Amino acid sequence: MIGPLSLMARAQSYIDVEAERAAQRTGSEVAGEVTGAPSNTSSTSTPVSPYGSQPAQSYPATSYGLNSAPAAPVSSAPVSAGATGGVGAGGQNLGNLFYQIQQLQQEVMRLNGKVEEQANELRKLKEQSLERYVDLDKRLSGAGTTAPGLAPAPAPSASTAPSGAAAIAGSSAVEQPGEGESYRAAYALVRGQQFNDAITAFQKFLRDYPDGKYAANAHYWLGELFLVVQPQDLEASRQSFTLLLDQYPDNNKAPDAMYKLGKVYFLKGNRERSREYMDRVISEYGSSGSSAVKLARDFITENY
Amino acid sequence: MKWLPVLALKLALLMISLGARAELTIEITQGMDNPTAIAVVPFAWQGPGSAPTDIASVIDGDLNRSGQFLPVSRSDMLGLPSVQSEVYYRDWRAIDTEYLVIGRVSVAGQMRIEYELFDVLRQTKVHAGVVTGAVSEARMLAHQVSDAIYEKLTGIRGAFATRLLYVSVTRVPGGNDYFRLTLADSDGARPIVLLESREPVMAPTWSPDGRQIAYVSFESSRPAIYRQDLASGQREQLTNFKGLNSSPSWSPDGNTMAMVLSKDGSPDIYLMNLASKRLTRVTRHYAIDTEPAWMPDGKSLLFTSDRGGRPQIYRYNLASGSTERVTFEGTYNARARVAQDGRNVVMVHQQNGAFHIALLDLVSERLQVLTATDLDESPSIAPNGSMVLYATKYAEQGILAAVSVDGGVKFRLPAREGDVREPAWSPYMGR
Repeated sequence: MIGPLSLMARAQSYIDVEAERAAQRTGSEVAGEVTGAPSNTSSTSTPVSPYGSQPAQSYPATSYGLNSAPAAPVSSAPVSAGATGGVGAGGQNLGNLFYQIQQLQQEVMRLNGKVEEQANELRKLKEQSLERYVDLDKRLSGAGTTAPGLAPAPAPSASTAPSGAAAIAGSSAVEQPGEGESYRAAYALVRGQQFNDAITAFQKFLRDYPDGKYAANAHYWLGELFLVVQPQDLEASRQSFTLLLDQYPDNNKAPDAMYKLGKVYFLKGNRERSREYMDRVISEYGSSGSSAVKLARDFITENY
Repeated sequence: MKWLPVLALKLALLMISLGARAELTIEITQGMDNPTAIAVVPFAWQGPGSAPTDIASVIDGDLNRSGQFLPVSRSDMLGLPSVQSEVYYRDWRAIDTEYLVIGRVSVAGQMRIEYELFDVLRQTKVHAGVVTGAVSEARMLAHQVSDAIYEKLTGIRGAFATRLLYVSVTRVPGGNDYFRLTLADSDGARPIVLLESREPVMAPTWSPDGRQIAYVSFESSRPAIYRQDLASGQREQLTNFKGLNSSPSWSPDGNTMAMVLSKDGSPDIYLMNLASKRLTRVTRHYAIDTEPAWMPDGKSLLFTSDRGGRPQIYRYNLASGSTERVTFEGTYNARARVAQDGRNVVMVHQQNGAFHIALLDLVSERLQVLTATDLDESPSIAPNGSMVLYATKYAEQGILAAVSVDGGVKFRLPAREGDVREPAWSPYMGR
């Protein structure tokens, strides 16, 4: 019963088992050959490593057929010795040869797998590069025909065209090349507390990418930065927050910008306008879970 | 042809049902998010006494198991119509039913089931039909009604009126285990033991017309491939070679059997002409080539090989004799089975050490892991390509489980007793 059962287990998942078994088998066979050998030839009693010098000693190099003339007779001798049941050097060499063949087979299989995988990678890369080329080609030819049409249309200048806000908001989802890098560089200045440099950087950012993906964030940071630099520039801060609200009313920074705008008006001494904005934060974003709502509520209870 | 004697000492060939003993039960573990609410009203019985089979509950179970439908509970039904004139749409709208099935069953020699399908929201009859057959096949007739309803509402041919083969193993502590090759309806009901043996039975598979099966049995103390006619029970031993005789797979035209033999050294794929019994060697490699599966067009074979160092799926083109590797994702992919569309391939896929069932789309080359359990094996795909049946372990017990090809619907079919393994879903059984 054990026989068939183990066979069954082998047949169900025998690939792994088989491979392991083969590894074990080859190991034990070599060990067997080596331990069996000393009684016959003392010169082979040292442990044999498959690629060691031992096979070369017992087998002249010619036995592998590397040299032309003596190859045939010498290599055929151990085979016949093994076939006639002869033990000793011939049998041991045959075992080594068998082991080496198995090793080579495994090595070839492994390399085979690598070649298959790399061929597949290459094929995929080729497909991808072709796709990229086609895409680029399409965009280039597309740019050639649409660019002139675009030119007469009002340029999407973020700072001067509040009426174009929708268009800008639409295009703002796309990050332009180099934009993220430029934005992060400016933001790093904020984190490094180099506020004046940060203002310059964000202003440059907005000149370079007026309708970029991070334009709204840049306006927000400018608004904040004008409040923390010495001396404070309340008017510049007010303009930044107002721009953000006018151009990106749906941006996730909008509730914060509105709260900040209320605060700026308060600092400017305009309590009524300040209260208006705080109330608007609560009424417009009350259900959004924005932290600005709580800040606005706190601000009202503290100051009104 | 050498037809073997049907009985042997260690082997009893039974064509009787073992009743509930080997029966599979069904537990749905995951359904779709928005299943369609459908009410299957108990069918009116137009005969003497009470109905022998609850046709409506069989249909209920089928639709429920698909995961795409949510049957309405009978206790929620405000009326039990069996003819169109008794249907009041507002009663069904009131309990949020989208579709309604009513029907009548009568027996005059043969059983006759008439059924009608209504769209409650549009207040129209969508479909009506009649199926007839032997009274003993009442459940199969009900499955045919399910197939028609499923096809009408999803546009995909139903696969309820199909059957399953599986091997169940009853452990006998200190003795020889019992192996039973079992045939059951697609819902696990009506199990019939086709072969009972104290030696392993493996790799059951179907002929493309669903009339014959083939399997590997160790009853002669070494593995041999047999084929068996389901209607007559007649058996034929196809192979008895030294070494492995495994993984039989019928060609789509039914004339050739692919198999794995190790008579010439390492396991390789061979084709046997079933009429002449002549063998053709397909693969010739010192690596292990195994688990052949035909593409539906019969022009190529998928098989598992470790010629690349690890087991992966390869495809052999019979016309050109060329072999190409199919799977590249993961370190282990084995035992492929192809859906009838020739595009979806299910296989055992190793990921993070665990064995899952994965689906490979041959066109997009996208591989999707369908299951989350650990020791999944032996996937078999429904003839309509909608569900994959596989073997897994649950609570220390070998069970069958099923998953939809999108991974959205899952259910288990645990046996009441013993381990169940190696399911094989039948092709369509003719209409």
